[in-house]
Amino acid sequence: MTVTFASPRFYTRPGKIKESPGDFICLHCGALVCAEAALSGVRNRNHCPYCLSSRHLDQFEAGDRLSACKARMRPVGLTLKRIGKKYTGHAQGELMLVHRCEDCGKLSINRIAADDVAEAILALLEPSAGLDADTRARLVQAGVTPLDTAQIGLVRTCLFGIGSAALQEG
Amino acid sequence: MHALNMPTTNQGIVVRKTLNSYLIGFGEAHVECTLSTRLKKDPNADPVVVGDVVVWNEAAQITGVLPRRNRLSRRGAVPTPGAYAREQVIAANVDQVVPVFAAANPRPAWTLLDRTLVSAESADIPALVILTKLDLVEGRPEAEEIEAVAAEYRAIGYAVVLTSTVTGRGLDELNARLAGRLSALVGKSGTGKTSLLNALDPGLGARVQALSKATGKGRHTTTTSEIFALPSGGSLVDTPGIREFGLWDVDEDDLAWFFPEMRPYLGRCRFGLDCRHDEEPGCAIRKAVMDGRISPYRYQSYLKMRVEP
Repeated sequence: MTVTFASPRFYTRPGKIKESPGDFICLHCGALVCAEAALSGVRNRNHCPYCLSSRHLDQFEAGDRLSACKARMRPVGLTLKRIGKKYTGHAQGELMLVHRCEDCGKLSINRIAADDVAEAILALLEPSAGLDADTRARLVQAGVTPLDTAQIGLVRTCLFGIGSAALQEG
Repeated sequence: MHALNMPTTNQGIVVRKTLNSYLIGFGEAHVECTLSTRLKKDPNADPVVVGDVVVWNEAAQITGVLPRRNRLSRRGAVPTPGAYAREQVIAANVDQVVPVFAAANPRPAWTLLDRTLVSAESADIPALVILTKLDLVEGRPEAEEIEAVAAEYRAIGYAVVLTSTVTGRGLDELNARLAGRLSALVGKSGTGKTSLLNALDPGLGARVQALSKATGKGRHTTTTSEIFALPSGGSLVDTPGIREFGLWDVDEDDLAWFFPEMRPYLGRCRFGLDCRHDEEPGCAIRKAVMDGRISPYRYQSYLKMRVEP
């Protein structure tokens, strides 16, 4: 039998999923990033709030820190989290970032944080609409629908509030 | 125990070590000894351990220790935070190290296993991995995961035996692998080291206890290290349960060498032998992990041991 060393351990994994390792310097833009949950609104800050870059650190599940790749994960698009509603079926949830590893191409979906630069997120809508066919196919296969420019109003609402889209149009 | 019948050479093997006394076996006889004043003043924390070949005098004091063939050591617990750690020798002159982990109750700590294996590799002692209490996970998803991890360690080159003292699974294979060797059992409290010993030698009747109902952990039932001869040949060193296994005398630059699956890649990184296999670009070991040729869990253990030996 050939062993590929690629099977995840869930029952016997080493301890609990790790908490955020703390403040860090973005390897892409060099900004000092504060991982304080009170500022970012998330317990596991996994990308730079300025350039939105992340790192490929997780392999099987979020926070396992088992990946040896460690390359930059570039933000390539936006999507909306699908949440299950008890009575109305699926509903649209929060805005999410789509990251793709520059080295191995792994895709991951990450929550935006409270201190992320909103304009940088908004600017991702264009690349999100122009995703290459392979990346789009992999996302769709995983049940993830990338947003396109037609949904700019929805993205503005997510980022700036309900009245912001109407203000922009006015 | 036989009466003291002094042989001509006064030389034997330490078969049991308690706080202040050492039981020495020579031939079929045993003698209880203490340390000589000179050895008590030895700066080494463990001048005499189970497995040592020693000589003693007429006052039943151990006066000398013959050079050790090998020794399994760990970093000793420090009395106060920040204090200087000392070497704690678990056993000496053993033929194989036998890390014992339970499939459940307590669940296996693979990083502790990796630490034990690295220590065995650094001491150049072969290892035989035993997983006990397989009956507790029989037919459950956990059993598949245990089997998969066992297959990974076998692929690295370690012998792994899955056992159950309840169903008798794996005991014949274990007997065969222990025959003719002195093997040191190492593992957390409550993993069933002494139960295994009792299963291999039903007449032994060594004291065992169930896990604590309050904490779900072992109760540190075995408090002394002792060598037991097995009916099928071979001997086992039963040791007290350990909570952690700090590496002793393992240089961080040599650490990757003690992971056998990493050896073929050493020197092939862009930075050659200077690569720490962490963040360096062009690292052959990181690439092997990404390609599925090295377990990411073992690689993670490697990184942890570099930071916290």
